Amino acid sequence: MIPVKYNVRNLRVRWVTTLMTVIGTGLVVWATVLTFGLVDGLDHALRISGDPLDLIVLRKGTTEETSSTIDQRVAKEVANLDGIAQDSAGQPMCSAEYVTILTKPRRNNGGTTNLIVRGLQDVGRALRPGFRVVRGRDVRPGLNEAITSQRMAERFENLAIGEKLEINKVNFEVVGYFEAAGSSAESEVWTDLRDLTGARRTPEALSAVNLRARDEAAMASLLKRIREDEQFKLDAMDEPAYFERQMTASIAIKFVGYAIAIFLTMGAMFAAANTMYAAVASRGREIGALRAIGFSRRSILTSFLFESVLLCLLGGLLGCLATLPFNGLSTGTANWATFSEITFAFRFGPSVLLRGVAMALAMGLVGGLFPALRAVRMPIISALRET
Amino acid sequence: MHTLFYIWRNLKRNKLRSALTILSIGFSLALMTVLHGYMAMQGEWGKEAEKYHRVVVMNSQGFSGQLPIAYVDRITSTAGVQAATPYAWYGGNYKEEQMPFAQFGCDSKTVFDVWDEFTIDPQQLAAWRTTRNGCVVDRRLAEKRGWKIGERIPLQGTFYQFNLDLVLCGVFDSPKNTDSLWFNWQYLDEGMRAMNAPGSGNAGTIFARVASADVIADVSQAIDDRFASSDNPTRTQTEAAFAQMFTDMLGNVQAYIRNIGLAVVFSLSLVAANAMAMSMRERTTEIAVLKAIGFSRRRVLVTILGEACSITLLGGLLGIVIGSSCLEMLHRLSSQLFPFSVLEMLGPWLLYLLATSAGIGLASGIVPAVRAAQLSVIDGLRRVV
Repeated sequence: MIPVKYNVRNLRVRWVTTLMTVIGTGLVVWATVLTFGLVDGLDHALRISGDPLDLIVLRKGTTEETSSTIDQRVAKEVANLDGIAQDSAGQPMCSAEYVTILTKPRRNNGGTTNLIVRGLQDVGRALRPGFRVVRGRDVRPGLNEAITSQRMAERFENLAIGEKLEINKVNFEVVGYFEAAGSSAESEVWTDLRDLTGARRTPEALSAVNLRARDEAAMASLLKRIREDEQFKLDAMDEPAYFERQMTASIAIKFVGYAIAIFLTMGAMFAAANTMYAAVASRGREIGALRAIGFSRRSILTSFLFESVLLCLLGGLLGCLATLPFNGLSTGTANWATFSEITFAFRFGPSVLLRGVAMALAMGLVGGLFPALRAVRMPIISALRET
Repeated sequence: MHTLFYIWRNLKRNKLRSALTILSIGFSLALMTVLHGYMAMQGEWGKEAEKYHRVVVMNSQGFSGQLPIAYVDRITSTAGVQAATPYAWYGGNYKEEQMPFAQFGCDSKTVFDVWDEFTIDPQQLAAWRTTRNGCVVDRRLAEKRGWKIGERIPLQGTFYQFNLDLVLCGVFDSPKNTDSLWFNWQYLDEGMRAMNAPGSGNAGTIFARVASADVIADVSQAIDDRFASSDNPTRTQTEAAFAQMFTDMLGNVQAYIRNIGLAVVFSLSLVAANAMAMSMRERTTEIAVLKAIGFSRRRVLVTILGEACSITLLGGLLGIVIGSSCLEMLHRLSSQLFPFSVLEMLGPWLLYLLATSAGIGLASGIVPAVRAAQLSVIDGLRRVV
């Protein structure tokens, strides 16, 4: 086995080439990890929104809250079903909600997009993961007040505390910011159910019912009961399944992300191969000498492969470090399932970084394989004779 | 001419290195081609729309607001408007597929006046007007699905409670593939009313044809003023601005694409510079000989720069070819996201990509070129690589 020192020293001697290749590979890994971080952030925002015991009840035939309408009477009957969990006050954890989308402008001339506004009552808050008001206060029903997340306030006009959001010519004052564990609730503006339906001039309107089942058996029976009742004409699904569906709508972004990663990695692979071929070419005599003193073909092959991998891993490390400033940076895009904006944060978790490192590894291995093979194929005599 | 020949021979000298560099640049630029091509298509969509002087009226609240059908007549009577039609997005499922193509409810009497660049056989149009549940589709959509006149097309409503049972009455030809199906708005509305479903009487959006480009702003203002104090105030914009709204929804993604592009370009410059530097290291003696036999400094500079640019331009061409094939493939797969074929899209953005590759060539070649030009002949001849 050729000692690792040999490779490290060689990289140091040809430091200009090494530096350029490391930076080049680093940039590629940076772009790739950034893409994966974006996709992961979007995924997380959707996945964490689903509690396994929560059910979302919609009109039969719809798959999104934004396109569903439910009768008040039916919603009341659903609230009386057996199997719904009860909160500490003994009330069923069943929330009738009205969801609408408004076209509103983003800050900094970011164009307009669709905003989800949800009207709900107190009980709905317990159904979201980790809901808590972090600044200001919660809404008081009847006063046309609204709350939203800090992220949304930063992204959209008229959503900061004290500002007024206009809904159908009624002004709703934003009175507080809330958090909900980074789930999709943080991409919405919340207000009181009656205030919203009043502003929309549709006092009896409801979009969906959110409820929590007592346990798994109760959930299964509730699902069956709601779906099969002829009078209801409703469909129910557990929250994870509901959000899973929204993720498939954003599959386009994932596809683009992977396509970008693959193209860039292949480009970098050729670049790494180029560097290694040059390295092998200029070290012909060295290789001949190593062979002459007894190192086997295999150890030379491994050594060059290792050098290539080391080069790319250094670049990979640099690239991953360069993404750190982006960690937690929030951004938003269109959720084509609900046809409105979803905000999320870049997430560089271990799986994302690992994928970046794996790509760097692949670059090094595949890029370095053929040059390494060439290194060992040279006959010793001609190698020693090279200038 | 000799210089070009010399450059070409130098590229062939180490075919492997040249090939790897070209491939490296090619793949990365293919990515940039696809990304920029996508953005160019969105821009093109807007520009296309400007030709036809159409405006889109929607509720100022957004898509969830109502637009009463009575507005259509009032808009038609506004000065400057030639024709108007309701245009309600149905968004239905067809067999097992979710929203596989665009479906719009409109007024068969006026829709081909609003879209007067579309053509349809007059008999088929008459058949559609007299068939309550009739529909017409874009010819390319019919061909893709293998639909014949008289075909039954059932659609399940998603946010409309009423399911449609449509019969194909005709096909229309449009300059760009719209992937759309048009049915009679009245059929949907009657069905909704029969079910007592909320949301009947809603035109969704209204598309209107304006007499000429210069009156568009006035007409839009007039329409909005007319309904400003009603229960359902409107927002009227040009078709191009309406399309831009959808692009806007993508938000930061555009900025992100541009930044990726910059990172890629920078990285490629390094790759190309690396390759040039490696190549130049081996040729110091050769350059010295050239200068000894009389090549001027400038000639050496130009030759080396030319070599660097040739490699990157070849890489750029390769990238454009690969990228364009990918774009074409994506266009065939999904003409909603990629509405134009690459052949229709040839334009300045391609030149921009070529210029970028040439720029990379210059950036990567400048240092080795200057060093070669400055090389002292004696030192060069003496150097042992």
